[in-house]
Amino acid sequence: MFKRELKINLKSFIIWTSILIGLFLVVFLVYPSIVNSENMEMMDEMMKMFPEEMLKAFNMDISSIDSAFGWLKTEGFVFVLLITGIYSGILGSNILLKEESDKTIEYLNSVPVTRKNIVLNKILCGLLYIILMVVIIGIFNFIGLSLSGDFDRKSYILLSITPIFSSIVIFAVCLFLSTFTHKTKKTMGISLGIVFASYFLNVISEMGESTEFLKYISIFTLADIRDVIVNVSINPLMVVLSIGITVIFMILTTIRYDKKELV
Amino acid sequence: MGKIILEIQNLTKYYGKIKGVENLSLKLEEGEIFGFIGPNGAGKSTTIREVMNLINKTSGKVLVENKEFNKDDIEIKEKIGYLPSEIYLYDDLTVKEMLDYHESFYKKDIHKRRIELVKRLELDEKKKIEDLSLGNLKKLGIILAFMHEPKILILDEPTSGLDPIMQNVFYDLLKEEKAKGNTIFYSTHILNEVSKICDRVGIIRNGELIKVEKIEDLSKKSLTFVTITSEQSKEIVKDLKVNTVSEDGNTIKFGNNLPHDELIKKLSKYKIDRILIEEATLEDMFLHYYK
Repeated sequence: MFKRELKINLKSFIIWTSILIGLFLVVFLVYPSIVNSENMEMMDEMMKMFPEEMLKAFNMDISSIDSAFGWLKTEGFVFVLLITGIYSGILGSNILLKEESDKTIEYLNSVPVTRKNIVLNKILCGLLYIILMVVIIGIFNFIGLSLSGDFDRKSYILLSITPIFSSIVIFAVCLFLSTFTHKTKKTMGISLGIVFASYFLNVISEMGESTEFLKYISIFTLADIRDVIVNVSINPLMVVLSIGITVIFMILTTIRYDKKELV
Repeated sequence: MGKIILEIQNLTKYYGKIKGVENLSLKLEEGEIFGFIGPNGAGKSTTIREVMNLINKTSGKVLVENKEFNKDDIEIKEKIGYLPSEIYLYDDLTVKEMLDYHESFYKKDIHKRRIELVKRLELDEKKKIEDLSLGNLKKLGIILAFMHEPKILILDEPTSGLDPIMQNVFYDLLKEEKAKGNTIFYSTHILNEVSKICDRVGIIRNGELIKVEKIEDLSKKSLTFVTITSEQSKEIVKDLKVNTVSEDGNTIKFGNNLPHDELIKKLSKYKIDRILIEEATLEDMFLHYYK
């Protein structure tokens, strides 16, 4: 059953991973020409014109975009966060619910397999793909950065595993939400909404003290790239929180799925 | 009475305030084919889905060989073969991959039986499931239900979509299962099918089991409907003491319990323009016996 899950979800995994790789490939190909030209000075001038809050939101106050790694720290990892987040959201809302939406659950329920086992297989498959995506992008960018110059390896490795924390939480939350309905159409919108709302709350929360409280309701707080750049370490509290929240939502999913009417 | 294999005790299902099934109790013996008939929306599929634990029971129990059948009882699930009325399988797979997948769920080796069934039902394993016609999809469903040699078969309208030749192959399969001592719960709305293959029949209407009868007893009550157009129709009604189902000018329709020989002798003294004698449909049966 696990093998079958891997196979059925492989296509979307390849598509989403390719999007990210394609994006970074363009960056690595184009960046040297930007960095070496006089454009950089112009860019710096332009940056000074932006309000401080705005720069903060894109980490531009603590990192400059004069190198590929610099760009990664500012915008690059935001893309990784968002795209792995969206992928995890879609995967979470789909992986379990698809059987009901396609009505194949009537078959799956009739064979000797427990509901817990069904949930477990789907969760393992989802987690595997999410981690694999982050790792593949990490390795790809590592190679890209190595080719384009010197960079802080420790800082890079920590940064590249950070998206795992927000992604597994998004996956678990969306998986749980999917137990409340029978149609994937309904959960898709909600899961994308969670990802974007979370991201914007996170951006707004960094703009000033009055909005800081918003970070407590954003999933992306768990994958605080800014904090990793500044301290060159991952806050252990966030790791514990991410894993804790993920586990709690997975347990809730199992309990709800056990009681759910499948048709 | 033989050994009880499947027992349904006071099964009830309410969707909010809407009744699905109420207080349905039933015992199926080893080696029997039990026909479960009723019009659309009577609660046949709801009953089956409750038995299969696809939906939650409002109340009641299902026992398999005297042991309660709960959701995650793998041991009991291995003993059951299930064919839903509408079959949905994984469109991305081929028939071969689907059958391989099915095999992976069972500890025992069921490959031999699979080959045998694929051959008998003339199914092409190379075809993709999304390309299968309704009839071929049904055949695949039948193979999936039968291939692990279950003790209990729960079949929901199994012959819809099958051509007459395949229907006969399927009836043969059923007879073989019965001969092996396996028990079959056969839901349908085709009365003809029930009288042909079932040992007993349960009739469900509005979510309630209103009658359980042996097929031989039911056929003794053979009922036909007679439509006659005659100027003397009123006298015929009086003479034969029948209750008409409908009257339209000189045309009357009534349910008939008499042997046909006797009926024709009685009618021979009247001048009849047109006569039609037809087999009672399931709905006619309902109206006649259970209204």
